[in-house]
This record gives sequence, structure tokens and C-alpha cells, in this order.
Amino acid sequence: MNLSFAGCGFLGIYHVGVAVCFKKYAPHLLLGKISGASFGALSACCLLCDLPIGEITTDVLRVVSEARAGSLGPFSPSFNIQNVLLEGMQKYLPHDVHKIVSGKLHISLTRVYDGKNVIVSEFPTREDLLQALLASCFVPVFSGLLPPRFHGIRYMDGGFSDNLPVLDENTITVSPFCGESDICPRDLSSQLFHVNLANTSIELSKQNMNRFARILFPPKPEVLSNMCKQGFDDALRFLHRNNMISCTRCLAVQSTFQLQDVLDDTTYEYDPDCEECKTHRQDALVDDLPDTVMTIFQNAIDSANNGIVNWVMRQRAMRYLTLLTLPYRVPIDIMYATFTNCVADRVETHAVQYKVAANILVRKKRCIRHNNYMTRFVTCTPKMSKSLWKLSLNTLQQLHGFMYATHDRSEAAARIYYKLTMGDGKMDANDGRQLDRRRASEFRITYGDMRTTHDDVDTFEHILNVTSHNEALLAYYYLDGENKMKMTEIYDVTDADTDAVQSPMERDVNKQLEFDNDWSGELIADDDDFDMEAMDDDALADRNIFSDPESEWNARRSMSHSDSDGDQPESDRRGPYIELA
Amino acid sequence: MGSELNLESAESSWTGGWFSWTRQSDVMLRNVEKKILSCLKTAYKRFYVDIGSVVGQSDKIWTISLNDESPKTPLVLLHGMGAGLALWCPNLDAFAATRPVYAIDLLGFGRSSRPKFACDAMKAEAQWVESVEEWRREVNLAQFILLGHSLGGYIATAYAIKYPERVRHLVLADPWGFTERPANAYEKAQLPLWVRAVATAVQPLNPLWAVRAAGPAGRWLVSKTRPDISRKYNGYVPDADTVIPEYIYQCNSQTPSGESAFHTLMTGFGWAKNPMMRRLDQLDPALPITVLYGSRSWVDNSSGQVILEHRGHTNTYVQVINGAGHHVYLDKPDLFNKFVLEACSRADMRDPRDARAILPAPPSTAQATPSSQAPPSTHAAIEQAPPSEPSAPAQSTPPS
Repeated sequence: MNLSFAGCGFLGIYHVGVAVCFKKYAPHLLLGKISGASFGALSACCLLCDLPIGEITTDVLRVVSEARAGSLGPFSPSFNIQNVLLEGMQKYLPHDVHKIVSGKLHISLTRVYDGKNVIVSEFPTREDLLQALLASCFVPVFSGLLPPRFHGIRYMDGGFSDNLPVLDENTITVSPFCGESDICPRDLSSQLFHVNLANTSIELSKQNMNRFARILFPPKPEVLSNMCKQGFDDALRFLHRNNMISCTRCLAVQSTFQLQDVLDDTTYEYDPDCEECKTHRQDALVDDLPDTVMTIFQNAIDSANNGIVNWVMRQRAMRYLTLLTLPYRVPIDIMYATFTNCVADRVETHAVQYKVAANILVRKKRCIRHNNYMTRFVTCTPKMSKSLWKLSLNTLQQLHGFMYATHDRSEAAARIYYKLTMGDGKMDANDGRQLDRRRASEFRITYGDMRTTHDDVDTFEHILNVTSHNEALLAYYYLDGENKMKMTEIYDVTDADTDAVQSPMERDVNKQLEFDNDWSGELIADDDDFDMEAMDDDALADRNIFSDPESEWNARRSMSHSDSDGDQPESDRRGPYIELA
Repeated sequence: MGSELNLESAESSWTGGWFSWTRQSDVMLRNVEKKILSCLKTAYKRFYVDIGSVVGQSDKIWTISLNDESPKTPLVLLHGMGAGLALWCPNLDAFAATRPVYAIDLLGFGRSSRPKFACDAMKAEAQWVESVEEWRREVNLAQFILLGHSLGGYIATAYAIKYPERVRHLVLADPWGFTERPANAYEKAQLPLWVRAVATAVQPLNPLWAVRAAGPAGRWLVSKTRPDISRKYNGYVPDADTVIPEYIYQCNSQTPSGESAFHTLMTGFGWAKNPMMRRLDQLDPALPITVLYGSRSWVDNSSGQVILEHRGHTNTYVQVINGAGHHVYLDKPDLFNKFVLEACSRADMRDPRDARAILPAPPSTAQATPSSQAPPSTHAAIEQAPPSEPSAPAQSTPPS
């Protein structure tokens, strides 16, 4: 069973309501593929990553309030939707998000040069995913002038070609427009006509006209809250009508059986004798949005309505005044935006230069980290404040790194040695590319090469190797709180440095595996809870206090290079156990 | 009557036919229809049935019949608003396998005549019912299974209320006009001014005004706003992407008389002035009814439950077809055909009203009364269309 979310701009809050309902009552529906366009793709991604709904709601409300703040609403020059979205995604999406969603998330994009629809589902890196999501949310003129590139080709909002990508017959379609979708608002109108725009059926009714205007112009928080509630109710009604609500135990039984037979009919039989199912269904009938989400909405509503400023702004005279002063405010706004953009650009170039200089001085593994920064996209205009913040952060990091370097000469030596053995001038190339941060795709190639060249002891195949050759000391299976099956096996690896792991033949095998492009995505994607933190040693954790999770990961890898250089498997020092969870 | 072209409709525009904004042409419509019907595997006949002066002066109803030699109870199909009989093409073969099947263009739609209907909702409805009844008399059917989709479902129900003895089984596919218009004072207050302004401006216009107003771009407009319909015909009709929009456009670019009548029937935004829910008790309680809904349809399928409660489970069957929208017959043709055929076989098994001998007169006498009309098999210019040679020389048949 697949899900498909329609693209709908700021109406996307409806999807949040639907997501809450699915998480609560039909988690089994979230196991399949989820597709979407525009905001639908974002919600699909959040659902697949199992992000906390409360934070997502807060973030959506934040975007909305930013959009409503400018003089021309979302069209104000100082509001840049792409930037705002990117910030949100950087903040909330986990660092291995591309592994989680590859193959499951299907993003609908419109190719700019021929207007054809493209559905993307494989994302080799996190940046790829973010870029695809941004491209899928790009409405020309509204978001910027030049559409972003994804793998070198310019794409824009999938809503222009296929707004509701349907993957197969058993796709549940979710759309915030009243029309012929599985989950959609049912308006109190029996309008006979509906149109089919970009694969989304939209009834020609007054409410839908109103909704259409809301795609780009976000409404007040009250309306958003109602929309979210409506999404929850509609989803619940759909689940109820199709008998998809049952207790967790019955669900488990169902899903075991569904593995074998092909689902051709979508009606679920629920066991009428199961008392738990009955109560569950009855509870669902009277249920409403969870309190966590409701309080967030309530806070947003309060902050928009209470306070003396809001009261003044609500007065009729004040409203006319704001309308009348619009011609004066808009040029000021434009000037301000241009100014901040210019200054921020200048600051950013300085920041880059500074970073390069610092790296030449310190010559650390941080080169890798900075290369990976990749925060600017072609269409985004940066904001001054953020650039300044990053600059100061960078300074701190550099200082820290510098201090550390003076401490630990020996380690640096080992690292340099490692660079030499790696050869091919790849590191140098990396240094050089520091300046050219926009050419992300090229950089990615180098990055990927480095990754495969190192025979990293910490990699997945190493663990796979150990697990396949050794008997587990202890293995146990359990259902966690979200009814996911978890498996934990504990291995003894104290003698892992013997032939069982490191024999030349096996190294060859491993290498072959590595160059096979298919394996890594799938295998790692399956293993969601691959716990890097647990394998970390304290020294490393200490040193990276300022870095974001991803760069931390890089640093740790380079660390282990230097260790393996001494031909001593890291597993030895880390302690006798690998835990595979 | 009997000519392949409905000549009357080609008369008189104020430019004398030299300039046609809508690019409407009867020849085009006929050809497109033939192209769509070429996908049928069963032999079919197409003909005009002259029903005399029911609404206009001499009204004709365009009919297609399949397998009319079969002795079983025939099935009559009434299409929905803005459609035509050719749109039943995914279903006709399956239905005709067991019984005679007739599909008509409702008066005021498709290739039938387009007289001016009354301006009163009840009268317009009665005119439609009368036209179907006259048609039945001309075609000489004693009893039939009546299937109506959307607006056709409304007319079928109205027909079954008036002539219950003629209907063996009533099948309603996503019928329009059942639910009562809810009091929506609250909803009005919520909508912004501009939405209300647009709605008020559009209200007096006929539902498909935009298609005609677009003129030469009408076909393009149809194909852009409803690409889903043509896509669903892809498995049946060769180059459906051009043929189906053309057909829908040609059906609706003529004088919109059926559309106006439909506009008279409705109030507000698509609600019926006289919803069928109020008149459910006028339906013969013994008449078996099957209601088929699409699960995604916007037609409120809770009305199925109301019908069920109102009439009891003995002879009412409500079925929701999963994954289908308003065009149930098209979205899930196999399931739809299956359910309709099941309904038909129920109708064949027994007529619950047989015992009551409700039929007032034998059908032969009922049919003999309308004066000098020849029997239906000869009075219509019949186009025999075996599947191998669909372009039978229909025009060459002399008009009677």
C-alpha cells in the first residue's frame, strides 16, 4: 500500500494532520512507498524519517509567520522561501536521511526545458535529497528566478506536471482540495463539475477557490489549525471506512500475512471478535488531534492575537493605514533586502577566504568538513545574520582545532603519512576545491572515491564480515514501543584481527563489494539504527563539540584512517563488543 | 427521421452558418462517435427514434442497440450530464453478452434533438421522463432494467416513480440529485468576498459555459481540464487522447438545451431543487434498486445508506466501488460490469411484483396505440455495424 501526497504550498498543514492520524492509527501504511510533489514531498520525507510531528508543526508555523510578516506577504523581497525551507530541512532531517528514504520516497519534479515529469527516488547523498526537495518546491517567480539544479539539470515544482504521483493501483491519494482523492476534505457542496489539473482532481467549488488562493498566500493560524484538524478527521474517516483501524496485535498478524500474498483488494478484514480492536475503533471515532499538536497551534494563535501590538494592528483604521502605506513600504523593503543580500554576499566571500587561509595554516582534517558544508544553493540569497553567525562559529572551530593541533603533533604526523599512502593527490585536489564550493557535484565524486579507497575498519561491511563469520554470543529480538521489530546481536571481536577479518582474499572480496554500486544504499538503508555514537570513543566526541553531526561523522572517519595506519584494528581498543542494533 | 444526421440542428445561426465560433459540426460528431464505437466487439445498430412532439416539435432520440435479438429483459443506459452514449463503450460489450442493451443520448444531449425545456424544475424533469417513456414506446420494450449515471440516475429514478411497471430493476451509478441542500449560512460567512463575487457571477451561467465560450480552444480546454477521462479510455479507444476530448466537446458545443434544463433542476452550486430523498417513498417499495458508488466520488455516498435505511435490505443493494471516482463505469469497468450484471441476474430471477400483476396492459397493445408509426425494426435507419466493417454505409439508407 503506497501513499501519495499532493503538492499544495501552504495548504500543506493539511498533510500534517493526515500524518498525525496515520502515525497514530495506521502505522502499517507508512511502511510502503510514499510519493509527493512540492510540500507533499516534504511531508512524505518527514513521515518516512519519523520526525516528531510537534517540531514539524512548529516549523511550518514559523515559515507561515515569516511569510505573513513582509509587506507583500510571501512575495516580499525579504522573504525567501527556498532559504527558509532549507534551514528547516538542515535542522530537522537526520544526517543519514538519504539512506532512510532512498527507494521509498518518490519526489515528483518537472524538468524545466521540456516540462516533462520526472520521479526521483534514489538519493546517493544528503545534499542530493535536499536539492531534490528544494527543486520540488520551486515555484518560478515566487521562489526565485532560476530553478535549482538536481544532478545538473534544472527542475521546478512537480505540481506543474504531476501534482499527485500515483505509483500503482493501491495508492492512497491525499489532497487538501475537495475532489476525487481518497483522503480529501468533503465540502458541503454537491458540485457536479471538477477539473483535473496535473493529475489532481479539484472540484469547482467556492471552498476550493478559496483554498487555491491559500497555496501561495498563507492564512491565519486559526485557519491553519482548522485545516490540520480537517486533515486528521478526513484521514480518520478514510481509515474507518476501509476498516483499517485495528489494535496493534491484529496489525502484526495482518502484516505477517501481507508479506506473502499480493494485495489486490484494498479492504482489510478486521477480526470482529477482537475486543481490543473494537475499543480501538471506538476510541478512534471520537478522537481529535493530539494535544501536543493542538497546543502548538494554540500558542501560534495566541501569539498572533494577543498583545497590544496585535490589537492595534487589528483595528480597522490601522488596517487601512497599512494598506495605504504599502507603496512606500515596498520600495524600502526591496532596498533593505538588496542591501542585506549584498552585505551578506560580501561577508560570505570573506568567510570563505578566511576559512581557506585557516585551513592552510592548520592543515587539518577539517578540510573535509568544510568541503562538506555546502549550505549555499544557486538560487538562495543568504541572510547577513546567518552568515555572520557561521563565520564566528568557524572562527571558534578554527581556534579550537589550532589549539588541539599544537597538543597533538604525533597524530597529525600519522595523518600526513596516511595522506601520502592514499596518494593520487586527492587531498590536494580537495584543498583546491575549497574555493569552489558551488561545484558540489564534482566534489561529491572525490568524496565518494576517498570513501571507497579507505579500507575502513568501522564500515558496515566489516561488521557484516564479523557477523557472518562469528557466532553471536547473545541474540535477542523484541518489539519496541512503536511496534517495530528490533534485533540485537552481540559479538565477541577480541580476536577480530586474525585471518577471519583481515585476510587478503577477503579484502579483495570486500573491495569488489564496495565498487558494486547497488549494495551500499540498500543494505545500509535497511539498517536504520546503525549506531555510530556507541562506537565513538570519548576523545573524539570531545574534540568535535562545535561541529554539526555530519561533519562529526567525517572527522571520525578520518580519525580511524590514522588508526588503521598503525595496522592495529580499532575494534581491539574499542572494547570487545560490537553491538548491532 | 432516420437520417444519420440530425438536420434540424444544423439550421440557422445569425451568420447563416458562414461563421461558427464553436467549431461545432454534426458530421464531426458522428465520425468521432463512430471512431469510439469501433472498439466494440459486439455488432451494434445506431438509429434515431422519433418520439414526436414531447418537448419540441419533433424530437428524436439517438440510440444504440446491441444484441437486441436476445429474449431477455433489456438493459437501458442513461448517461450523465454533458456525456453521450459513446462513453459507455467500456461496458457495452459486457452487458450485451447476456441481454439486449440500449443506450440513448438523453434529449438535449449528444446527438439527440435539442428542444427548449420548460423553465420549471418539476416540468423539465417530467419532460425528460416523458421523452424516455415515448422512446420506450417507440422501441417497443415492455419492461427493462434501467441504469442511470449521475444526471441519468436522477432521471431514471424520476422515471421509476412515474412508470414503476416498466422498470424491472433500477441501477443507479453515482446518481446526482439525491441529497438535500444543507443550510450553508455558516459557510458563507467564512469565505472571502472575492470568492463570493465569482460564485455569484458564475451562478446564472450554464454549467459548461466555459467550453462554448472558449470557441476554437474548446477541445483543448476539455483535454486540459479533464485529461483523466481520456487517459482512462486509452485501453479501449485508439488515440483516445484526441478522440475523447473531441467527442465531449462536440457533444457540448451545440445549443445547450439539456444543460439549461439541468440548470433549471438545480439550485445553488449543484444541488437538486427537488431532491430524490424527499420522494423516496413515492418509489414502488417492491422495486429492486441497486446503487453503485465510487469511493472517491464527490457525490455524497451517504445517501446510499439513507436509501438503504428507508427501503430496507430486502430489495435494495448498495455497493461502494473502491478506488473509483464519479465515473464509476469508467474508473473500475470490470467491477462495475460485474455488479451491474449481478443486478441484472437478480432481475432475471424473479420480479417481486409479478404476483401483484401490476402490468396494466400487454406491451403489444401499449405499443400499438401511437398511431401510424412503423415497427421499430424498420422505422429507423439502421446502421448495421459488424466489428470487422464499422463504417457501414449509413447515409445511403433512404430516409423513411
